[in-house]
Formats: sequence, C-alpha cells, structure tokens
Amino acid sequence: MASRHVTKRAKYKTTIKDPGTPGTLRLTLEKILFVPHNPKSAGKLDVEFRFIKGQKHTKEGSNKPPWLNLTNNQNGSFIFEFENYSDLQYCRDFVGKVLAKSGEVSEKPTVTYPDEQLSAAEMELRIKLLQEDSELQKLHKQFVLSDVLTEAEFWATRKKLLDTEANKKTKQRLGFKSAMISDIRPSTDGRTNKVTFNLTPEIILQIFAEKPAVHRAFLSYVPNKMSEKVFWTKYFRAEYLHSTKNSIAAAAEAAEDEELAVFLKLDDILASEARWKIRRVDPTLDMEADEGDDYTHLPDHGIFRDGSKDMTESQNELYRRTLSQDINRHAAVVLEGRAVDVDLDDTRAVAEALAWSKQESSTKRESDGDTNQERLARVSRMTEIEDLQGPNNLPSAPLCIKDPRDYFDSQQANALRTSGDALGRTEQIKCSLSTQEVYGSLRQSISVIKAMGLKDPIVKPEVAHQVFDALTNSISTTKYHIGKNPHESVLDRLPKKTKDELLHHWTSILELLKHFWASYPITTSYLYTKVNRLKDAISNIYPQLEEIKGSVPSELRHQVSLLVHPMLQALDAAIQHYEADMQKRSTGSVDKPNGYV
Amino acid sequence: MKFQIEDVTVYFPYDHIYPEQYSYMIELKRALDAKGHCLLEMPTGTGKTIALLSLITSYSLSKPQSPIKLIYCTRTVHEMEKTLAELKLLHNYQIKHLGPQARILAIGLSSRKNLCVNPTVLAAENRDSVDAGCRKLTASWVRAMAAENPNVPTCQFFENYEKAASAAVLPPGVYTLQDLRAFGKEKGWCPYFLARHMVQFANVVVYSYQYLLDPKVAGIISKEMQKESVVIFDEAHNIDNVCIEALSVSVRRQTLEGATRNLNRISHEIDRFKATDASRLRAEYNRLVEGLALRGNLPITDNWLSNPALPDDILKEAVPGNIRRAEHFLHVLRRLVQYLRGRLETENVEKESPVGFVASISSHAGIDQKALKFCYDRLHSLMLTLEITDTDEFLHIQTICDFATLVGTYGRGFSIIIEPFDERMPHIPDPVLQLSCHDASLAIKPVFDRFQSVVITSGTLSPIDLYPRLLNFHPVVSRSFTMSLTRDCICPMVLTRGSDQLPVSTKFDMRSDPGVVRNYGKLLLEMVSVVPDGIVCFFVSYSYMDGIINTWNDTGILKEIMQHKLVFIETQDVVETTLALDNYRRACDCGRGAVFFSVARGKVAEGIDFDRHYGRLVIMFGVPFQYTLSKILMARLEYLRDTFQIKEGDFLTFDALRQAAQCVGRVIRSKADYGMMIFADKSAGRESLASF
Repeated sequence: MASRHVTKRAKYKTTIKDPGTPGTLRLTLEKILFVPHNPKSAGKLDVEFRFIKGQKHTKEGSNKPPWLNLTNNQNGSFIFEFENYSDLQYCRDFVGKVLAKSGEVSEKPTVTYPDEQLSAAEMELRIKLLQEDSELQKLHKQFVLSDVLTEAEFWATRKKLLDTEANKKTKQRLGFKSAMISDIRPSTDGRTNKVTFNLTPEIILQIFAEKPAVHRAFLSYVPNKMSEKVFWTKYFRAEYLHSTKNSIAAAAEAAEDEELAVFLKLDDILASEARWKIRRVDPTLDMEADEGDDYTHLPDHGIFRDGSKDMTESQNELYRRTLSQDINRHAAVVLEGRAVDVDLDDTRAVAEALAWSKQESSTKRESDGDTNQERLARVSRMTEIEDLQGPNNLPSAPLCIKDPRDYFDSQQANALRTSGDALGRTEQIKCSLSTQEVYGSLRQSISVIKAMGLKDPIVKPEVAHQVFDALTNSISTTKYHIGKNPHESVLDRLPKKTKDELLHHWTSILELLKHFWASYPITTSYLYTKVNRLKDAISNIYPQLEEIKGSVPSELRHQVSLLVHPMLQALDAAIQHYEADMQKRSTGSVDKPNGYV
Repeated sequence: MKFQIEDVTVYFPYDHIYPEQYSYMIELKRALDAKGHCLLEMPTGTGKTIALLSLITSYSLSKPQSPIKLIYCTRTVHEMEKTLAELKLLHNYQIKHLGPQARILAIGLSSRKNLCVNPTVLAAENRDSVDAGCRKLTASWVRAMAAENPNVPTCQFFENYEKAASAAVLPPGVYTLQDLRAFGKEKGWCPYFLARHMVQFANVVVYSYQYLLDPKVAGIISKEMQKESVVIFDEAHNIDNVCIEALSVSVRRQTLEGATRNLNRISHEIDRFKATDASRLRAEYNRLVEGLALRGNLPITDNWLSNPALPDDILKEAVPGNIRRAEHFLHVLRRLVQYLRGRLETENVEKESPVGFVASISSHAGIDQKALKFCYDRLHSLMLTLEITDTDEFLHIQTICDFATLVGTYGRGFSIIIEPFDERMPHIPDPVLQLSCHDASLAIKPVFDRFQSVVITSGTLSPIDLYPRLLNFHPVVSRSFTMSLTRDCICPMVLTRGSDQLPVSTKFDMRSDPGVVRNYGKLLLEMVSVVPDGIVCFFVSYSYMDGIINTWNDTGILKEIMQHKLVFIETQDVVETTLALDNYRRACDCGRGAVFFSVARGKVAEGIDFDRHYGRLVIMFGVPFQYTLSKILMARLEYLRDTFQIKEGDFLTFDALRQAAQCVGRVIRSKADYGMMIFADKSAGRESLASF
C-alpha cells in the first residue's frame, strides 16, 4: 500500500451546525486521531477503525464545504471539514481502503464498504454483483484492493450495473435447456449389460415439467411405495420400451406392472391441459374449430384413399407415443419457461415446488376473463395490412445480451462463412488521413447537417453495415482463421490455464486502459495521481504477458503471441501517450507557477 | 379512403391502395354489372379479401333499391374469423363516413360445436356428439315430453330463444363466431339457432364451402338464399377437390360392422314401438304412401344432415312400395350390407361403373335402383319416426344409405373402386370400397345455376383456363393480376444439390437415401443458424416427415437445430397441431425463434398464414406430387382426359404446383413483408419459379 497513514488539517464538528474545532486529522490503518490546534479545546478524538461502519462526503462543485462524515456502529458520526477537496478525496479514499480491508478481515465474502453516500441497499447491491460475477470480483480484487483504482473509480465505469432499474432487466431467468431430455444417453461399463443414467436435479425438473404424469406418480409413490431409485429405474425402463417402438411389448409389460403402466400410458393430465389451452388459442389458427365445421370429412365420407392422405396404424393407441409429440411438448415447456426457482438438490423439494406453482397457475387460469379480449386483439392485428396505413407501435423488448463474447463468437462464424471476401476489401479501404483532412471532413459534415438538418439515420446504413461487418469479422479473427472447423476456436485449443489467464488479462487491461484514457486531459491533481498509479499498474503487466508467452508449449507460442500482440500494442500506446504528456508538462510547467500540475 | 369506380363510390378502410387492388375491383365490378360469374387470380399478400369486401359492400350501398346479398365462402373457420375481422374494420369505416345508413348485418355461421354455449352439450368431444347432444335436448319430441314431465332435461338457451320468438333478432353489426357466442350468452338465446335464423336476413353471410357445395349440409342451411346474391369462393384453388369430396363415400369393414349394429338397434326400436305405439309406424306408412317423406315443415331442431344427392336429382315422387314398411326396409338394408361385405372380401383391386354396380346389386341382392335411390329419405323418415336422438351413433348406417342413394342416382362421373389394401402398405389388409366422384362440376353446378354472380378467387389459379373446364362454367371475367413489387421482398431459390454435390430429391427411389436426408438436415441446420424468427418446412407426406425427423434425431442433427430454434411439428392430431402452432407463434413473438415442420397437403399448409416474422423462410423438401399409383387418382385422370381433354401430366404438374405455390405463398401477407423460399428438389425446375 502506498501510504500507511495520512495527515491533514481539518476541522472537527460534532454536528453539521457546529462551527468546528480546527486541528490535525491523522488517519492510520487502525485508528482515526484528531488533535485540536488548541490543546485546551475538548475536540480530541481517538477512534479505532473497526468501529467505523461507513462514510459519506460532500461533492466537489456543490455549495457545501468539503466535509467527510464517518459513521460508527452506534449510529454516531464524526464530521470533518477540510481545507480543500483534494484533501477530502485523499482521506476518503484512504478510509475506503481501510474499511474494505477491515471488511475482509472480518471474514465477509470479498466485500468492500463503499465510500460515497451509499445507502445500505446500494452497498448490498455491489456486494451481490461481486458475488455473482467472478470476473468482476477478480478485477475488483486486483485493482481496488491493490490501490490501483479507488472504489468510486471502479464503480463509476459500471454505473449501468448499479442502476437498479437496469439491474432488474439484466437478471435473466434461467430457462430450460434446448436439448431434449431424451438425449440423456446412458453410459455403459462395457462389460456387462448394465447401463447407468446420470440424473441431475436439473434434468429431473425438466422431466417433471414435460411429463406431468411422471410428476404425479413421483409425488404419490415416493418414498412411501418405492424408493427414488426404483422409481427412476422404472421410468427408464418405460422410456426404453418407447424407444424400441414396439407398442405390443409395451402393452404387455404395462399389463403386468401397473406402476410401469403409468409411464407408458398417454398422459391424461396433458390431454386435459390441452383441452383448456385450446380455448385460448388465436382464432386465426384454430384448426380444431375447422374440424368441427368440416362436414365433408364425416367418418367415411369423402375420398378415403386417394394418395394424398397418409395411413397410420391405429393399434395399441394407448401405448403409442411419437417423437413428434415429445418434441412439441418439449418446445412448449421450454417456451413457458421455468416456473420454479428453488435450489435444485432435493428431488422431493423440486417435485413439491413444481406442484405448488402449477396449482397457482391453475387458480389464475380460472380467474382470467381478459383472454377473449386478447384473442380479439390478436385477430385484428393479424388482419390489418400494415403498409397501407400508418405505423403501428408494437411492443418491443430491449435487447439483452448477457455475455457479448458469446454473441460475437457466434456471429463471427456466420459472418466469416458468408462474406469471406468482404474482409479483404475492407482492409484495402483503410487509408491514412492527416489531421487537417479529418478536421475538414468533420467541418464539412457539420455544415451539411446545419444546412439540411439531421436526417433520420445519422450514419448512412451502408456505412454502418460495413463497419458492423468489419467489426464482427475482425473481433476474433484469429480464432477462426486458424481453427479447423468454424465452431472450434483457437482459445479452446490452448491449455485451460493459459486461456483463462489470457482472458483475464484482456479484461484487466481493458479496465486499466479505460480508466487511463478517461483521465485525460489531466485537469486536477487527483487525476494526475490516478494516471501515475495506472501507469505503474500498466507497466507491471508487461512481464506477466511475457511469462504467459513463455509458459505455453512451443507449437502454440505463435498463437499466443498473436493474441498478446494487440494487448501489447494497446499498452504501448498508453505508455507513449503518458510519456509525451509528461514531457509536455515538464517543459510547460514554468507557465504554471502555482505548482498546480 | 373514398373513391369512385364508374358509378359506385368505394369505401376503402386504408389510406392507401395497391394498384392491383384497384384493377381487381374494376374487374369485379364488371362481373357484378353483367350479373355473371368470374374468375380472378391475384397473388397472396395483395389484400384480396379487403378489396372484395369493400367493393361488394360499397356496390350494394350505392344501389339501395336492389340490395345484393353477399355469401362469402371460406375454406376454414379461422379464415372465416379473419374475414369477419376485416369486414368489421371496413364496417366501422363506412359507418364513420356514411352514418347509420351504412349499417349491415354480417354473421359467420358454423356448426353447433363452434357456436353452442350450453356447457353440458359442449363437454362432448367431437362435432357429431355435440350435434347429438343438442338434439337430445332440443328435438321436438323431447321438448313435447319435457312439457309434460319437468324432469326431462332441455336446453335453456334454446327454450329462451323459442320464447322470444320473433323478437329474437340480431341488431345490425358484424358478428364473428365469438361475438355470436357472447351475444347468445348475454341474452340467454341459443347462438346456433339464432344464427341459422338470421342467415336469411343478413347482408353478409360468411361460412364454409361445404355449406353451399355439400348437398348434405347445403340442403338444410342454404335452401332459402335469394338469387340476387354474390357468392365468393375465396382461396378457391382447391375447389375442385372440395366438390369431389362432397359427393364421394367410402365403405370400410368398420362401417359395415357399425351399420350391422345400427340395424340391430333399429330393429329393437321397431319391436318396441310395435308393442307400445304401433300407430306411429302405421302413420308413417300412410304418409309414405301419400308422397315423399315429410320435408320442409320439420321443426328446425329435428333437421339432420340432408340428402347426399344434389337437389335437382332428387326424385319428387312417392317412396317405392317395397321399402315403405319399416321391417321391409330393414331387410333391404341388411341385404345391402351383406352384399357390400361380400364385395369387400376381394383379393384384387376392382373398378366398376355405378351402372354395372347397380345391376350387380340388383341381381345378387335383389334391390332395384329406385329402392337404392330412396334409401336416404327412407332412413331419415324412419329415424324421425323412431324418435332417435343419438344420431352420432347412427353415422355408419347413414354412410351406407348415402352410398346407396348416390349409386342409385348417378350413372356417370363416378366410379366404384374396391381395394384390398393400401398400395403403400400391402402387408396390412384394410379393404375399402370407394364411391368416388370424378367430376367437380356436378357439385358446383347448382350454385352456378342458382346465384347471379359467383366469384372464384385465389392467389394461385394458374393456368386460369383450366378451372372453367374443370368446373364446367363460363365466366364473364377471367383475369390474372400480377403483383407489383416496389422492392425485392421475396427471394425464391431452387436447391438441386446438397453441400456434398449429391442431388437431392423426394422422388420415390431417392427419398430414403441417407445422403439426401443428411443433406436436407444440413440445409436446415445452416438456415436455422442465420435466419431470424420463424422458419416453416414443408415435407411431402406425414410418413416421410416422421421418417426424416427420426433419422435426424438419431444422427444428432435435430439436437443441433434445437440449439438455434425451438422445433414444432404438425401431427395428425388437430388439437396438438393447433397448440403447437400457437406455441410457435409465441416463440416467434418473443424473439426465441422457431421451426415448424409441416406437410404440404396437410391442414396447416391449407389454411395457416406464416406471414411477417412468423415465416421469414419457407423450405419445401421436395415437390408435392400426388401419389400417382393411387387407383382413385388414375380413375379421375382417365375421366378428365376423356371428358375434358385434360392431359394426365398437365393435371399432375398443375396440382403439384398449386400445392407448392400455396405452401410458399403462406409467408407473404403484404408488400411490407419479406421472406425467402427454398425449393429443395432437383426436379423443381424453372417452371415452379415462374409462378412468382
């Protein structure tokens, strides 16, 4: 840590109204010490940091003097008035760090006590964010706790996360997997005929949701009538019978074992559910109503076998279940989304929670009277011809991409395949412009806008499209140029440790550079110190990157250095800028006699 | 907008109009002026329905002295609902501009199943049990019994409707089926009978094709429509098939077994009546001696399905003496069933003309042609006499009587084909005796004769000169409009080879080739990863679709597809398919994206729109040719060649193309819409693209 203590002139106030006792404030890692200039005055203070719960301060630019307010755990507070804001900031950061440390010491999960005027809710939110996102936590640990960034700086670039409104949106509910549960393939040991199924609570929940009869059977049989293991064995036996597509064998087995029959029979709960659901479907696709109106297809009327219709075997209907039904059912369940939000470790609990949520929805179903209205609205939307009338404002949901990396990776594969040659072209377009030319073109476009007004698309669609293409193409180009198949990336071929390290370095470098460039132009001494701190951190990264390069096997070294290269470039640019700036400062410092760098 | 076409002011509910809509209206008006029939083709996605509705309603508004009635026939109930919704929009617009004089009454009419509001009746599973459930509560003898004995259940909605008598009318407005149900519930009147009653007074009636074309239904619903009506058949590219189906009957083993059961039950009933109330049977006999079975003055609720033969062909004379007595008629029917059972026991495919078949019945079973002809009427009369309400149980014997009546009535245009098994599944014995109609013009002839203008319109009617020949009529206007596109909003493509350069096709010898299946899977997989929102795939048949999906499932292609989009599949179960479609739309609405697997000649391809984001891409896996080895199809082709000089190959190509065009046309609804179409088959030549 840079400094182990801070000493500043300040006034100590017991209340806001108090004119304050002038004195010296000394902050160490353990204690807050205030000694009045006048030894006789009663304002002497000696408080240990572990009693301090949080801090508040006034903001630069507000009319208030620079105050720092430390609250202790008895809801008391100590107010200090500083001579200027930079002193305040310095102390504030110090306190923040110490508080963060003490938080760690007291065995809480990597938590910091925030330093601005934070309510308890905001604090909790930050803690929660850190807990949820391990990457963020890593960054936080690396920079804030090692003093490269302050708490406030760190969060300032993540206002979006802190915005509770946005936060609600980002929290996506986890849905069911797209893969079918019939894809659970058993594993065999290769010697005996035994197969083993691995059931996770996640899969069980999905089975319950897709097959209500199994769910009901589970609730009534387990654990009174049979053990859970027996239950699932029977279930998979039934699944196996289905997969053989031998409905006669299924019927025979079901006749012998009534519990097994439960799994083999068509699901009666589904059938009854279908009956009430059919009343709510969009009338413009209600084919069931057609059936009810179709007098040419009276049984045995019309043409029965003219080659346009298909034959189906109708034996053992009861035990016949088609793949199509399974697929439809699965897709419907995925679409409905997960109704339960419980910890998935106990099958019984899962089953009960699902039963409960179903009950709830069925009571809701009885009480809804606006379905008719909704149906009518849907019909009228389906019938209107859009382009013959004014636009209709359709409801829209904001796009929420949880992990942009995934998104771009998937786009990359497509973009590359479709426009392999587009990449070559865009590179040729690249040309160097002088500052004057750029300035000139900017002025020109501004004057055009002034004359013509701002047209609706600010950027021409073609240009935007080109940029977007180039971006998706080049964002992780190397990955795909080298990967043998477009779905396998270079990163996946690296050892996991190296891959993680590389990714981590990327994010941390991005974080540092973001702060670094945001600090220019340096207008306050605060920014000046910040830039220095950042520069130190940046220069520390170089050896680490070299180390990664050295650690990988030689055949991958080229790949890694390709990946590391842009990082180095970015860092170099930052350092260069820093040095140039420093040089300018040292020559120009004569012009600023007040010493204010 | 409001504009003038010659002397008619047209009210059009949108601010703009497509040029082809305007010229469509002009042609339509010519046909109305000439009081003749017309044939109009305009691609989907150009707003045919609204153009039709707005011109015809405006036309009748501008000529208040001779108002014309509009009978709008749709293929399906959901198209009916959509048409009514568009009409509602138009009606609101006209009221806004013209005030109360623009008021019209427009109703949709469907079966009891779709209109009934009585919860006990509605609990029944299918249409026939709902019909029977209704009859159990509302038949005249049931109500007479209930008047004496309050314990006999009746339908409160119907009783209220009867009580209100002439006061029970619908105020002007546009009523969808849902509106009718809501109105009925509110007033406590039966919506079904109310709608049936109001059909005579309504300015616009929207119902299904069969209510006009199928004599069994038309006989009770559309008897009293005035001549000054304009009849529209929308989406009429399949109208010949509807006409043919309306006059075809097939008899299977199950039918004969059921019919035998029915006959036993009837015989019990006759015995019971003989013991308790012999006078009724005697009264019926006397009535039959005097003339035809009682018709016309039946209470509305006692009506059952009507005579399967066309009204002009029904003899207006007394029932022949040998089937007047109930027992005699029963014996005749037993002999007939016995004869048919004997014919089903064949090992070879047999094809016969109705004349020969009737002669054979006459010599083997001793039933002459006239008796056959009266089977339907005699059965109907007997069932009324016996006061049978659970009509759904008696469908089998009704099938036999329909068959007998049709065979007895028509000498040409039909053939009887007996097949011991389905060609494609020779190992499963499933004998079937089919009376199949080959001449589509038979069923539609009364409609052309009766109404002053009949408009046949669809998105795909090409070649447009084929329809007048198939349906045997002379249109005064026959036009085909092309769509004017302001931008390339459709992108049709033909794919003949898979990514490994193997040709792909669904020709019979190639379709199960693993290479073809894999190539199709790869194609779909690549498409699902790039196309946003909804994708629709059409396969040539259910069995092929099942096979291909199973193979994809085994090889893991399906799993990969599922990673990109949810998968929904059309099955033969209508309820399940409807739910799958509903979920499919939901998935497209919420941005999840989905694929729908469907069958080219299935119900979905016939009537469901996949417009806008519900279908950005449609893939046709193969060309949907009919199964050419089908005996019925061969017989029909032969008939077409001999009678109308239409070549077999021409008809088959025409049929396959109209199906394919129908499938891919589902994705475009308006010009603002856009989508891509892929025909994945090596035999899908240039010609298929010519239709776009």
